[in-house]
Amino acid sequence: MAEAPDTLAVAFELNGAPVEATVEPQTPLIDMLRERFGLTGTKRSCDVQVCGACTVLLDGAPVSSCTVPAFEARGRAVLTVEGFAADDASSPLVEAFVNNAAFQCGFCTPGMLLAAKSLLDADPAPSEETIKDYMRGNVCRCTGYKKIVEAVQEAAEAGR
Amino acid sequence: MKPFRLHEPTDVHEAASALADAGGGAALYAGGTELLLAMKSGLLAYDTLINVKSIPGLDAVSADGDTVVIGASATHSAVECDPLVRKRMPLLAEVEHGVANLRVRNVGTLAGNLCFAEPHSDPATLLLVYEAGLDIAGPSGTRRITVGDLQTGSYETSLEPDELLIAVRVPALPAGMCAAYSKFGYHHRPTLGIAAALGVKDGVVTEARLALGCVSPVAQRLSRAEDVLRGERVDTLTEGASALREASRLASEDADAVEDMHGGVDYKEHLVRVFMERTLLRALARNGGGDG
Amino acid sequence: MTTREFKTVGTAVRRVDADDKLSGRAQFTGDLQVPGMAFCKLVTSPLPHARITRVDASRARALSGVYAVLTSAELVNMETHYGSDKKDRPVIAIDKVRFQGEPVAAVAAIDLATAEAAVELVDVEYEELPTVTGIDEALDPSGEPVHESNVCHEYGYEWGDVDAAFRECDRVFEDTFEFPMVYHYAMEPHTCIVSYEPDRIRLWTSAQHPFLVQAEIARLFGRQLDQVQVVVPFVGGGYGSKSYTKIEPLVTALSREAGRPVRLALSVDEAMRTVRRHAARGTIRTGVMNDGTIVARECTGYVDTGGYTDNGVRVTERFGDRMPGPYSMANVRVKTRGLFTNSTPAGSYRSIGGPQAIWACESQIDVIAHALGMDPFEFRVKNLVREGEEVRRGRRPIEGDLEYALRRVADEFGWNSWRPGPTPPGVKRGIGFACGVTNSGASPTSTSLVRFHADGSATVYIGSAEMGQGSRSVMAQIAAEELRIPYGKVRVVASDTTAVPWDRSTGSSRSTTLMGLAVHDAAIDIRQQLLDLAAEHFEAFPEEIEAEDGRASFKGESVAFAALVRNMFGGSGGELMGRGYVTPKHASGKLRQDTVFWEVSIGAAEGEVDTATGEVRLLRYYSISDPGKAINPKQVEGQDEGAAMQAIGHTFFEEMLYEDGQLLNPNLVDYRVPVFTDLPHEFETVLIESGNGPGPYGAKGVGEGGIVCVAPSVANAIFNATGVRISTLPLTPERVWRALHEAGQEAG
Repeated sequence: MAEAPDTLAVAFELNGAPVEATVEPQTPLIDMLRERFGLTGTKRSCDVQVCGACTVLLDGAPVSSCTVPAFEARGRAVLTVEGFAADDASSPLVEAFVNNAAFQCGFCTPGMLLAAKSLLDADPAPSEETIKDYMRGNVCRCTGYKKIVEAVQEAAEAGR
Repeated sequence: MKPFRLHEPTDVHEAASALADAGGGAALYAGGTELLLAMKSGLLAYDTLINVKSIPGLDAVSADGDTVVIGASATHSAVECDPLVRKRMPLLAEVEHGVANLRVRNVGTLAGNLCFAEPHSDPATLLLVYEAGLDIAGPSGTRRITVGDLQTGSYETSLEPDELLIAVRVPALPAGMCAAYSKFGYHHRPTLGIAAALGVKDGVVTEARLALGCVSPVAQRLSRAEDVLRGERVDTLTEGASALREASRLASEDADAVEDMHGGVDYKEHLVRVFMERTLLRALARNGGGDG
Repeated sequence: MTTREFKTVGTAVRRVDADDKLSGRAQFTGDLQVPGMAFCKLVTSPLPHARITRVDASRARALSGVYAVLTSAELVNMETHYGSDKKDRPVIAIDKVRFQGEPVAAVAAIDLATAEAAVELVDVEYEELPTVTGIDEALDPSGEPVHESNVCHEYGYEWGDVDAAFRECDRVFEDTFEFPMVYHYAMEPHTCIVSYEPDRIRLWTSAQHPFLVQAEIARLFGRQLDQVQVVVPFVGGGYGSKSYTKIEPLVTALSREAGRPVRLALSVDEAMRTVRRHAARGTIRTGVMNDGTIVARECTGYVDTGGYTDNGVRVTERFGDRMPGPYSMANVRVKTRGLFTNSTPAGSYRSIGGPQAIWACESQIDVIAHALGMDPFEFRVKNLVREGEEVRRGRRPIEGDLEYALRRVADEFGWNSWRPGPTPPGVKRGIGFACGVTNSGASPTSTSLVRFHADGSATVYIGSAEMGQGSRSVMAQIAAEELRIPYGKVRVVASDTTAVPWDRSTGSSRSTTLMGLAVHDAAIDIRQQLLDLAAEHFEAFPEEIEAEDGRASFKGESVAFAALVRNMFGGSGGELMGRGYVTPKHASGKLRQDTVFWEVSIGAAEGEVDTATGEVRLLRYYSISDPGKAINPKQVEGQDEGAAMQAIGHTFFEEMLYEDGQLLNPNLVDYRVPVFTDLPHEFETVLIESGNGPGPYGAKGVGEGGIVCVAPSVANAIFNATGVRISTLPLTPERVWRALHEAGQEAG
């Protein structure tokens, strides 16, 4: 049996580009993104997978980067808010967030946008109930949620 | 979090050996949604995590006759969205959808949820009424236990230190059974979970499977309440029916509720009464329509 | 002369921070890298109340990669205590700890992992003291007090002949209401970087009041104001949690010790041991006549300020100010006390003392209305203060017509036509109402500077911190409007004490009103200069010049503002500067009177009670917001909705649970905040623009009103549905069920 290594090479696709990093097993994904790649759009808040501020998409699926280890990215695709925003396809959702005042302090917003993107990828015409249910794991302490629901609805309509 | 080493076995035997070699210094890692939180907060510390996901094939969800076999590294989302699960056991899909939040479901595994033995688990309660079996691998081979044999206490299981759960075997409910699941609570984790499955033949309840979770450290079947329902005519089991009341009362009596942040013992016992009757009525409303 | 139409004021413009915040580029304090920065971890007290008998950091200091360890022994050549009203908070615990989680030592190391390892090596010994948990224990004189005594502050006022009024009235009601400790959960936990240098101290911090932090740090470390730079990047939510000074003194002292910049980023667990809202108990005696006239109110109350004063003095006072309610009463007596306990120090939280006071006030108003057989809405209307009347004797009279506002909400909600409709067995529906006014604006002191550039664009300099409320956009709107240039031509520089002029604070709903006035005046200062230049250009009088859309015109000819500025400086470049000072003397002394403005709050709720489980669902909630003039209507709604949603938290489930001084739920798994699925089906803000605020265009603040009426209107709806009165928050299913059970009103 080979001795388990103390560091791991992580080769993955980050916002569409192939990248590599060496991490320790206990390094959470968020630390690799923020500290190795300088992608500080991903925010740490509750640190217990409740609030969603650290949401990134791993092969298109939302995960809590505060807890998912960095090594889980091996061979997979990670999308952060920076990659999302750089993609023209994001503009209906971004504009809907602007038009509906769906952000205030902006700390939850990166995670909120990625959760909303993942919802609209899965269901381009979600009902209000579906939006609330899908997004219930993303906390916003500023807006009161109503305007985010309206923004997602508007983006869904714009995408049709 | 304290540093740990990652061991990535390529088969089950290697994983079991690694567990045995570590002598308690290693833990199995699948989704890590519970384990890593406990390690981050310092409640648990391990030198080595053994990555179950590196074992090929363990993420599969497959059919074995009428039984759906869920591999140890299948996530809640994978189970929820699996076509086989949706078709044969929609109630399992529904309950999996209600677990924590989307991000936890995308990472956390059903098997890991059972093995972590956190007392507020919806699947642990539901699988009791499916009478699910668990395939446990150890250095000397594989054994099969029922899901009810797994959890022995709060965060405690009957697994030996060198054993790992490799598959959850969920038999579809027999034809003619109807089922429902209720959860209640306002905290992040549920305060109460009740599963009910009733077999009906010729208008009479022939089989009753009732399970209760979250109010006590270990989810349990409620045999006294089940006994009351067997032999009852379905058309008499309407709201307020004495058999429903009696079953709910016995469920409450047998709840073993403990006081915690979710509520006092008397309140939890009361909730068991209320939700047992509601769950039975919801299951009965699905009579003839399968389990979902 | 016809009234000029607004070009950007009153419009939901694209926020100036939209692109930053929707791309991940927005920088919060934790996103900054300062060269040479060390990382801090805290050693905190596991005990809520104890004497520190020994702190030995020698093993930690010996660890490779550790730069410094701060303990109370290092607090030399500096002031040791800070605080906004009472300087009772030590920079780091000295001799005694007063709450679980109080920092006892702080490590600065090369990285976080090393700092975490070093924390384990700091040896602290304690002599445990009896714990003071909650208001009752604080009032018990037998235990060891938290400070010299457990009384932090006492407050009171009185008018009329209260005792005589109680003797002479028809009926007297007395009720007591309890409000829990709650936590702001600003999603960005407090974060601070400090670089202590020989000739200056630089801080980057998540603070709402950069200039108050500057003054506090200058005082503690014996520096001039100009030697202390406080930069506040985007703040990830404040709601009061980042007001005054929090972790900045500790990090500054540690940076001094380490000889390099130090960063401390708190976890949520640590932030919950940094600040919270005051728990409160309010007892109200009310004397009424049988016709429903309130003749006297006597309000007695306590607030639990925890281990240190923080904002306990003001909260004690505002709790007292706000408890009698917006009713016309000839006889009032108020006495409130702030008490120390062994728990997280309590500070500002959105409408300080407001939700606690109005929870008591408005719950009791319903109790009385019911006892008198009056509609609770009409009972309120009958007793309301009228426009221009004093809510509080000697303070600014209320601006705005409260009765109109109440009737608007009732109409839109459908109060009079409401029927419960069919419900499943055991489920009961009800409606409830609440109203309140809160004295807001803090201190009427702000300044602003505007630079008008040679290409016709402008930069606005403000001290306000941007914490989500959108102040930068509002200030850009005001500046653009008054400069007569497009909104897109204005940039805002904010909250860097070396770059922007002084402002008191960002809180108390004050920025649009007071900083707004300063920006308004600074922009007009420039416009006047432009008009003077244009008058010179056209050889006309300034008052004959029209200014619009970046150009000055006279008799069909026009010239760009930019050209006027360039010409003034000889053609190549140059700029104009405008200044705005807001002081108590502003507008002929109108701001001098106590209470800058009254913020109106009204709530109407429809709730559904499952009497078998005690679960309450909020089906509909209507709130009012009167911004005087809505400079950005979407942002006004956002303030109101956000405040109301936070209130849904403290109404239904938020509560910091303490047992023997130990916080039981210091994380988001066990401390439940509202999520998407808590959003009621109807969640509406009724916008009224009464145009009578002291701010620009008649504007006034709206950040806090939405938070105060949810709890009482929901409890009143529960009473309406079930006949059961619940006087303690939060209204958890278990609490509601117990109340129903006791009253014999549960189903099943």
